[in-house]
Order: sequence, then C-alpha cells, then structure tokens
Amino acid sequence: MELDLSRPLDIAVGLLPEILLTCWALLVLLVASWRHNTAEDSRLSGWLSFAGVIVTAAALTLLWVNRATPLGLAQMMALDPFRYTAAAIILISAGAVILLSLGYLEREQLLAPEYYPLILLATTGMLFLAGAEDLIVLFLGLEVMSVAVYVLAGYDRTNMSSSEAALKYFLIGAFASGFLLYGIALVYGATGTTNLSLIGAQLAGGRLSLMAELGLGLLLIGFGFKVAAVPFHMWAPDVYDGSPTPVTAFMATGVKAAAFAALVRVLLEAFPSADGLWQPVIAGLAIASMVVGNLVALAQRSLKRMLAYSSIAHAGYLLVAVWPGTKLGAGAVLLYLAAYGITTLASFGFLAALGRGGERDVTYDSIAGLASTRPWIALGLSVCMLSLLGFPGTLGFMGKWYILTAVIAEGHVLLPVILVVTSVISAGYYLPVIMAMYMKTAPEGEAYGRVRLAPAAAATVALSVAAVVVFGLWPRGVFDAALQSAGTLTQTELPVAHH
Amino acid sequence: MTGFLASIGYDRWILHALVLLPLAGVVPILLGDERSAKRMALAVTVLELLLSLGLWWVIQPNTSGMQLESSAPWIPRWGISYRVGIDGISLFMVLLTTVMMPLSVLASWSSITKKERAFYALMLTLLTGLVGVFIALDLFLFYVFFEVMLIPMYFIIGIWGGTNRLYAAIKFFIYTMAGSLLMLVAIVILAWKVAGASGMLSFSYDHLLTNANSVGSAAPWLFAAFALAFAIKVPIFPLHTWLPDAHVEAPTAGSVLLASVMLKIGTYGFLRFAVPFFPHVALSPSVTHLMVALAVIGIIYGALVAMVQPDIKKLVAYSSVSHLGFVMLGIWGVTIISVQGALMVMISHGISTGALFLLIGMIYERRHTRMIDAYGGIARVVPIFSLVLTVVALSSIGLPGLNGFIGEFLVLLGSFSAYPWATGIATTGVIFAAAYLLWALQRMIFNPLDKPDNERLTDLTARELVVLIPLVIGIVWLGLFPGPVLQRMEPATRQYVEIVHPGSTSTTASREAQAVEPGGR
Repeated sequence: MELDLSRPLDIAVGLLPEILLTCWALLVLLVASWRHNTAEDSRLSGWLSFAGVIVTAAALTLLWVNRATPLGLAQMMALDPFRYTAAAIILISAGAVILLSLGYLEREQLLAPEYYPLILLATTGMLFLAGAEDLIVLFLGLEVMSVAVYVLAGYDRTNMSSSEAALKYFLIGAFASGFLLYGIALVYGATGTTNLSLIGAQLAGGRLSLMAELGLGLLLIGFGFKVAAVPFHMWAPDVYDGSPTPVTAFMATGVKAAAFAALVRVLLEAFPSADGLWQPVIAGLAIASMVVGNLVALAQRSLKRMLAYSSIAHAGYLLVAVWPGTKLGAGAVLLYLAAYGITTLASFGFLAALGRGGERDVTYDSIAGLASTRPWIALGLSVCMLSLLGFPGTLGFMGKWYILTAVIAEGHVLLPVILVVTSVISAGYYLPVIMAMYMKTAPEGEAYGRVRLAPAAAATVALSVAAVVVFGLWPRGVFDAALQSAGTLTQTELPVAHH
Repeated sequence: MTGFLASIGYDRWILHALVLLPLAGVVPILLGDERSAKRMALAVTVLELLLSLGLWWVIQPNTSGMQLESSAPWIPRWGISYRVGIDGISLFMVLLTTVMMPLSVLASWSSITKKERAFYALMLTLLTGLVGVFIALDLFLFYVFFEVMLIPMYFIIGIWGGTNRLYAAIKFFIYTMAGSLLMLVAIVILAWKVAGASGMLSFSYDHLLTNANSVGSAAPWLFAAFALAFAIKVPIFPLHTWLPDAHVEAPTAGSVLLASVMLKIGTYGFLRFAVPFFPHVALSPSVTHLMVALAVIGIIYGALVAMVQPDIKKLVAYSSVSHLGFVMLGIWGVTIISVQGALMVMISHGISTGALFLLIGMIYERRHTRMIDAYGGIARVVPIFSLVLTVVALSSIGLPGLNGFIGEFLVLLGSFSAYPWATGIATTGVIFAAAYLLWALQRMIFNPLDKPDNERLTDLTARELVVLIPLVIGIVWLGLFPGPVLQRMEPATRQYVEIVHPGSTSTTASREAQAVEPGGR
C-alpha cells in the first residue's frame, strides 16, 4: 500500500494508530471524569484503556500487513517496518502495564482512574517517537510521553518517595529536553532542515561543520539522559525505586524502547556519515553503563533498586547494539528491546505481587523460601532472572547473541568482551534471587499468604514468561523479523536535497 | 546384534532419542507424586542406558570421522542447526554418562528425602545436557548444552547440598559461566571469520574445523578463550578452586556426576575443539610448556593437598585435580598412545572416582561424618564395604590389572619422548596417589576399632551392591581387557593426532600403537 502524503486521507491512514490512541485516551478521560469514585470505576477505565491499546494494535497491524510505504519522501512520520516493530513493542509494554496496574492500584488504594488515560497519552508520545522522521515530531513525541510519565511517577501522592521520584524525573527530564532542543536547533542551523533523511543527505560526504557536530553532541546527551546511560543515569535509581511498580515497568520498557528507536533512527538516517564521530561516544557510554550498572546493582539489597540499576546495565547492552550502525545492529536493538521488555515486564509484575505497600521493602531476604509455598511465582521469576542474565534457552540469550553477532560482524571485539564480562558480574545479583527463593528456608511463620497475583496480572506474566522461553528456544521467527524490520533504515539512497 | 539394530533403524534415531528421552521423562515425574518420582527416574535412566549400549555395536570401529551424523535446521539464516554425531571419543563419554546416571539415581534412593520430584526432574534434565554436550556438532548447540546443564547442577548443589551449599553453588556457576561466555564471543568471531573466508556462515563443527586456519592472527586469542572455558571445567591448576567446594557440598549423586562426567567436558572440549581448531597455537612451544607445566603442577599439587585432607570427600575431590592432570599431559603428548591414554584416564577416573564418591555417600548415610579419623578398623564391622573400597582405591591408585593403570601408563609412555622431564615428575604423582589413598584406607578400615560409634555400622545393602557391582566389574574388565575399548578409540585419536600434528602418525607413533593395542594385558 503506497500512501500519497500530500492527501489528507492518506496522511490519516498513515497516522491511524496515533490518531486512534489519542482519541481513545480523551474518551477514557471523559468517562473517568464522570465515574471516578470507586474501585469499579477504576477498573472500568482500565479495561477501556486496554481495549484502546488493542484497537491501536489492530490499526498498526493494518499498516504493517499492507506494507504501507510513503509515495516519495516521508515528511514527518516514517512509514516503515522499523516504526511498526518499535510501535508493537511499545504497545505490548503499554497493554501489559495496564493489566498489571488493575490489581495493583486497588491493592495500593490508588483509585484515580485518570491513571489509565495518562498511560495511553504517554503511549501516543512513544508511538510518535518510534516513527519520527523529523526532529520536531521527535521532540513533540518526547514531550507528550515525558509529561504524562512525570505525572505517573508521582501518582502515589501520599508516598514521599513517589513525589520525590516525580520531581526528580521532571527536573532532569526538563534538563534533557533542553539539551535535545538546543541540539535540534544547531542541527537545523547547520543543515537548514529538520527532516532526518534530508539532514543525512546534506551531511553526506563531507566533514561535519562545527555547528552540526555540536548539535549531534547535544542530541546524544539528551538521549543519554532519556535512556539512562551512565553518566546521565543519576536520576534513574531513585525514580524507578519511588514510582509505583507498574509505572516503573513502563519506564523501563516503553520509555526505553521509544527512546532507543528514536536514537537509532536519528543516528542511522541523519548521521550515517558521521559515524566516526558518534561511534566512540556510543561505545564510551555503553562501556560506562555496563560497568557501573552491573557493579552498583551488585550492592543492592532491595529487588526494585537492583532492577533499576540492572536496567542501566541493559541500556549499556542496547548501546552496544546501536554502535555498529548497521542493519544487523538496528535489528539487534529491536530484538533486545523486545527481549528485555518482555522479561522486565514480567519481573516487575512478580515484584508487584510480592510487595506489601510499596515494593521498596522487598529484599533478597524477604523472598526466602518462596518456592515452597508459591512454586509458580518462583519458577516464573527464576526464568526472568535467567533471561536478564542472558542464559541459553531464554529470549534474553538470543538478544545478547544477536548483539554480539552484530558487533563482531563489524570486526570489533572490545565491546563484546566487556559485554560478556559484565554479564558474568550480573550473575552475582540475578542468581541470589533464585537462590533465595529455592535454597533458603522461609522465616518462621512466613507463609507468603499475602502474595497474590490478580487474574489479569497473572495472565500477563504467564504469557510473558512463556514467550521468553518459547522464543528463546525457537528464535528463528523473531530473528528474521528483527532483521527485516531494520532493513529499511540503512538504505542510504536518498532524493537530492533542496534548499 | 548389528543386524537386529539395523532392522529397527537404530542408527537413525538413537542420538535424538538419547537427548529427548530424559526430557520426556521429566513430565511424568512432575505430574506424578513424590513417592514414585525415584522409580520413574530409575526407569528412564535404565532405559536410556539400555538404548545407549547399542552404540557399542553400531559404531564402526575402523572408521574415523563422525558417525550417525544427522541435522535439522534451527536458525537457518544464521547457519545454526541442530546437528549431532558421534565418534570413538564421544562414544565413551556418552556411555560413561548413561552408566553413571542410573547408579546415581539408585545412590540417591534413601539419601534424598525432600523435594524428590524436583530432584529427579533435575537429574533427568542434567542427563539431557550431558549427552547433548558430547554429541553436539554445531558450536551454537554445543554452547547451549554446555551452559544449560549448569542450571540443574546449580540447583542440585544448592538445594540438596551440605552446610556450605549456597557458596559452593554460586561459585560453581560463576566460574563456569565466566569461562564459557568468553568462549561464546570466540565462537561468534570464529564463525564470522570463517564465513568471510569461505563465503558460508555456519556453526557446523566440520565446516569450522576445515576452515579454522583462516582466522589468521586472531587464532591465539580465540584459542585462549576456548582454553579458558575448558580449563575451568577440567579444572586445571590454578583454576580449580571451585572444585573442592562443589564436590564436597554436593549430594552424593551430584558429586558422582560432577567427577565422573562433568569434569570430562573440559578435557573433551580440548580434544574436540580447542586443540584441533588452533593446532599451531596449541602446540606452539610457549603454550605447550605452559599446559604441560600446569598439568604436572596439577598432578603433584592435587596429590599433595589430598594427602593432608582430614575429610575423605575432600581428599577424593583433590585427587581428581591430580588425575585430570594426567589427561591434560596426554592430550599435549600428541601421540596416538598418549591421547588414547588420556581417554582411558577419563573413563577410568569416571568409574573409580564415581565409585569412591558413592562409597563415601554410603558410609556417610550410616555414620554422618566424613572425617577420616572418626573411623578406624571398620573392616571388621563392614567387610563387604571395606573390600569394595579397597578394590576401588587400588584402581584409583593405578594398580596393574585394574583400569586406572592402563590410562596412566599409556599417558606416561606416550608423552615420555616429548617431555621426559615432565613425565618423570608426573610419575611421582602415581606414588603420591598410592600414599594418600592407602594411608586413608589404613586409617579408615584397618587400624584398631576404637570408636564405639563404628561398632554398630551395617554392611552394604542389596541396593547398594547393585550400584557398586557394575563399577567393580568395569574396573576389573577394563584393567584386563582394554583392547576392544582402545580399538574403538584408535581411529578417532589417530584422526585427532593427524589434524593437530600432520605427518606424525605414519612413523613411530603408529607402530607403537600397534604394539600396545592388540589383545590387551
């Protein structure tokens, strides 16, 4: 299906997922303003929002199976498999977070149904980020997403740490947006355009002007904040730790997926000629994130904080996948985002079930002997830990394998070696989770009677864990899909730029 | 026998069946109740053993190269397939695994009392991983099996182990993983370099082996990554520190499988992958000196440390470090005799040390201590136990006529011309082995019966005899008639020597092999 982007109807078709989701979010907001008192109202809002995610996914599928491509140059939003795959990962994250929230909000008595429309709005922003073909759209998508997530982070108003998380996230986020915007301005100044493909065509061949170099640098700093790469990670542990657990899961999966998709697109479409400039920066950020994230995670006692630091480490692995700037590398980013996203959603789902009034108190000790009374939760969480560790038989391993292959195919060895060495370090904090559940005995009188997964959450985590194992054993389909989705990004044949 | 096996198409399905059968057995165990788990596990492992015995007849004794090879696409675009096959080297590793497994299940019959279903399900998963490692002919597949079997062993040590089990379990896991992840990087680099030279991306063993010389200057690094992974597994001094912890803390079945089978994965890896892929690196003077030196240090160090152990299980654990040193020496001897000797030590050590751990487990169940000085004079109370222990200990020492002698003798004979000094020093390891085991025997079963607790010990039960008798038969049979075994190893070892040391087999080495081989002693 070729869409002529000069016709409003075709533009509407190309933006169908985003349009539907925005309208749906406003609709749910309307319903919520009428009914916002009881737990039942909250549930209604939640299920309505979940339906919105499904409808959006259907619209996305429509574009995907019809292979929607633009007639000529994509002006604002890309129409390519990379966008569709990234959007699919984001929608999976959003859907799972809604399902995980249903029981969680009731248990924590956070019964304000506006929570769900906020998730939908954040998701809309992410979808724009995943497809942004223009720096302005990218910035708008980022802001729509971020503003909604700032509110979500502070959703537990009575909780000090939740408010702290929101404020911290907001301040750092505003700072990051500033860097990004300044970078956009400089790039515009250097090239006279904000369209990624046109920037790429402008910069092709020659050395970058100082202004463009500065612009690229500021863009990288902005993205560094958003994906929580070391040294721009200081906010992440506190924010992840303080936010309500499903929101943390959303930040670790959806936000990260959207930011990485945008980063890959910017680097591969707008700055392929400057890879000598950004590759060392990406490599440095990756190494710092892997080393610092894994080492500091070792020292954590609280599981939620451990997962927060481990997410910094995983951002490092993803940056390794960004580094080659090839089709294989972009495929690795997509596959790893999916692998990490699904595993992390399930992990936070289990963590939410284990918590009692805020999950900061769930430590390694407080899950001792869980396997004997809650065998399924223990089994599921173990599979998640092994997948995060990158153990064969899980999707996490296939993701790491893909990353290693993508980098080694470029003849580079240092990053893969650091990746596997830091993965060994990560065994030091993932394995103790399994160890505590299976090999220690439960404290006297602790029967884990309160540990309970709501039906919707149980279905979500069960599906996720099943996906981690099934795709870990039969990765053929996802491998090929990732490669095909990345294919369109690196075709550098571009129309001649016009001034 | 051969005709019958051919009529049921045995050679076509056996390797797949050996991998899948234990996994299939996990299902009824998990669905069944606690009491029937061990019976089910025994049935599955005995069936696996019976199935695997047919391999003895199916393998063509005079053919080199892989046999019964078959493959199925797994991730075709990436050149990864499920490819399995077997030769004269892996045949005995598979048989060792399938023999030790039912015995380990029987040995756990009364000692494992909690979470029985989980225990036996993990044992069967471990069986799949162990068989898979020895027959995998795709490096990706090999890596998957290599890692996957860590999980069952991690749980077996961590849940059913001794007092210090958590530390031992995580140490075992992290040591192995640290080595194997670097090997993973090396595997990917190897495959891509070979793909660049040959135009085909494939992780198939044969493809990589044929083209491995195209890696160029990366070879030393790749060899180092492979060697590190396998050296930790063997373990080679000074990477052995996980071994005493894991072996001592594991329950009897875990110790038996660790010692009998899992340590052999390291030496098997050297024989199958690390040395044949990069023979110029492996046999370069500096690497050779290093490996031979470490092998000899391992032999002497393991023996000396074993000598001073007050705990009999720890003594046997350190004796493994010593015995595996002989295997490494034999591998680097690179004559047909020394490599056959290395393989024989691998088999003999599997049988003898497995039997020693089984015996220690049996006496521990009765007396609840492993301290040597807690015993004394028990030959009078438990004569059958003492007799079996003596036979097994003598085999471990390397008494001529028992299995341990053949392998160590061949290693020393085959390596002497290349490394006279190292071989000479290694020979003293045999004397030390006699010292520490005989001394321990004397303190445990001879000496006066002076501790009242030992007077009420009961002798071996029928079940325990069923566990031990096959091993004792193996000890005597291999010691007296090693011919058929050596004959089946010969083509594969000859091929190995030809790959790593072209031109050497046509001369003296093969004549020596002919002289040693026929008839046995």
